[in-house]
Amino acid sequence: MKDNNIEGRLLVDQRDLKFKARDVQVYYGDNHAIKDVSVDILDKTVTAFIGPSGCGKSTFLRCLNRMNDTIPICRVEGDIQLDGEDINAPEVDPVQLRARVGMVFQKPNPFPKSIYDNIAYGPRIHGLARNKAELDEIVEQSLRRGALWDEVKDRLQEPGTGLSGGQQQRLCIARAVATHPEVLLMDEPCSALDPIATAQVEELIDELRQNFSVVIVTHSMQQAARVSQKTAFFHLGNLVEYDDTDTIFTNPQDPRTESYITGRIG
Amino acid sequence: MSPIWLFITILVLAAVGFVLGRQRAIASVDDHRNLHSRPNYYGVNVAMLAFGPAVLVLGAWLVIQPIIVNQMVSKLIPARSYEDAGALNLIMSDVQRVAEGLGTAVAEGTLTQAGSRTLDTETSDVRALLGTVGVALGSEVKPEVLKAAQRYRAAAATGAWIMTGAVLLLAVAGFTVAYAQTNGRLRARNRVETGMLWLLIAAATVAILTTIGIVLSLLFNTIEFFRAYPGREFFTSLEWAPSFSGRGGGSKLGIIPLLWGTFYISIVALLVAVPIGLFAAVYLSEYASKRVRAVAKPLLEVLAGIPTIVYGLFALLTVGPLLLTIFGDSGFGWMSGGRAVMTAGITMGVMLIPFVSSLSDDIINAVPQAMRDGSYALGATQSETMRQVILPAALPGIVGAILLAASRAIGETMIVVLGAGAAARLSLNPFDAMTTVTAKIVSQLTGDSDFASPEALVAFALGMSLFLVTLALNVGALYIVRKYREQYE
Repeated sequence: MKDNNIEGRLLVDQRDLKFKARDVQVYYGDNHAIKDVSVDILDKTVTAFIGPSGCGKSTFLRCLNRMNDTIPICRVEGDIQLDGEDINAPEVDPVQLRARVGMVFQKPNPFPKSIYDNIAYGPRIHGLARNKAELDEIVEQSLRRGALWDEVKDRLQEPGTGLSGGQQQRLCIARAVATHPEVLLMDEPCSALDPIATAQVEELIDELRQNFSVVIVTHSMQQAARVSQKTAFFHLGNLVEYDDTDTIFTNPQDPRTESYITGRIG
Repeated sequence: MSPIWLFITILVLAAVGFVLGRQRAIASVDDHRNLHSRPNYYGVNVAMLAFGPAVLVLGAWLVIQPIIVNQMVSKLIPARSYEDAGALNLIMSDVQRVAEGLGTAVAEGTLTQAGSRTLDTETSDVRALLGTVGVALGSEVKPEVLKAAQRYRAAAATGAWIMTGAVLLLAVAGFTVAYAQTNGRLRARNRVETGMLWLLIAAATVAILTTIGIVLSLLFNTIEFFRAYPGREFFTSLEWAPSFSGRGGGSKLGIIPLLWGTFYISIVALLVAVPIGLFAAVYLSEYASKRVRAVAKPLLEVLAGIPTIVYGLFALLTVGPLLLTIFGDSGFGWMSGGRAVMTAGITMGVMLIPFVSSLSDDIINAVPQAMRDGSYALGATQSETMRQVILPAALPGIVGAILLAASRAIGETMIVVLGAGAAARLSLNPFDAMTTVTAKIVSQLTGDSDFASPEALVAFALGMSLFLVTLALNVGALYIVRKYREQYE
């Protein structure tokens, strides 16, 4: 099943390919959390991971920037390539990988610093700016990309924790954008936000697609339908179906996918 | 009845009340599920009403009765026989001793109860009589003292009878009322909880009142000191040279050299404790594996359990001689003896390491994992995350921990006495012997001290000054912690 999905229909164009994952297994201690997942993630595309709670979609997302390395009992097997390079190869520094593959978390987690310093944190540690003026430029650009500039331009020195929930999440997106990543991973970025803030973030995701490959984990099928072009459905650690979003929601191939999107499981 | 028996009696009454109240409640309904409260609450309610008011009255009576009796009896002492309140106090303590002696004599059968009342100094040798029952008096018993003692005994006996009556009456009354009220609809649970609330309030009040009492006792003695010694001298004099020759006579009691010693030693201690403690905390909380942490953290905390006198010995026998071989005459030649600011400061620093490390470790662990994830996801290394995200987020708490350690350092005594010497000196050389406020409080109050002389009273002024300094530090710590606490919540 996996073969006819992935290999058969979805290798559209090798040049657009960002991530190529083959037979990925993840173990938490003795628990086999991800089983044989193979997926191709395209550049300048929003890919949504959907599925019931505990199905492994967040775990798989965290494999893509090796955030699972910070969990001692977690073990990842299989082949994950970013632009044709194995990201789990010993010569790859996870720290540098994460600068290329940014991540936004479920709960907004601004640092207890000023808005400016929140954005400047990444560029500073990676030495992206040669002087203060360039850093200012990066901060402004990132905040504009995060659709937050107009709201905060007069109070850049105020703490980032003082913003509203939706603003905080956009600050976190802007912070992730500031290191010029190639891929942006989002782990349920709207689940802690109210509908208005959610709409703003969704709009932002659509704009980010111009420059980045975006992978978003979401519990909301409407959200997946609204923002993504590709959708992957996970169930019990397996990748059940991966296809164009329209196809998944209108004409799913697998009965489990159909049950989930019509609300019978999950 | 003696107070202890009285106490036991009402305790027994309360226990009986518990059993009976419980039974009555159960008997008052056909099914104990129909009771308003669980059966035990009815029992506790009866026990509480029998015990609570009675024991309160008992306690209050035991405190107040001696005061009233003293007041009554002291009127019997003619005003010409004493000069001031101090002399009256001495006479009154004589009266109490004689009264006690009479009581013992009656108990041993040397005197009859009636005989003790009619005894008088003209016809018998009271001093010899009391001597036979083991109460030795310094001088012959004066007639007014004997009379006062007899009056004292009578009043105390009457008081004890009234107390016994009142307490027993109250206990029985409480018991009866609560027992009579007990039936299935009584809201015993709410009553018991109200009673508990008052118990909690009482406990909090005791803690607060004790603090106030300590401050007041310091304050009065401090005021007394400033009557005997000019305050300007105390705060501005650069010399500490109490004379022990006699009253007053040429003592120089300046606090500045002592404060200097206190701060110098504390700063050395913090310079040792803060970096070591903080680095240890960072290692333990962020880098150490679970197994290392499980061993290292308790080991570090053992340091906090060592009594300070043991640290003092360590300073005296190990740190001092060690420093002396390096910085003494055979080495750099800066140090003339084992006791020095460095000796005490380094030892105190070791003592403070677990304070700083343990508190900082907790605070670092309290920084949400989301902060770390956020930083790692931006491609930061562990040490960048630590320096630029975790430590700034934990800073208010760490500052609080450091200030707490500082107030420990300022209040520390034993290490100073053994490690830093006793010479009050204003010097910049950290290898000189110096002393601190606390060590001088000890030396001013140990031995035979006259509590009316400024040389002894200065201890209270020193204590008050120290209290104000540590209070300011604690308030500062609280302020900092409060101001920045919400940052990552």
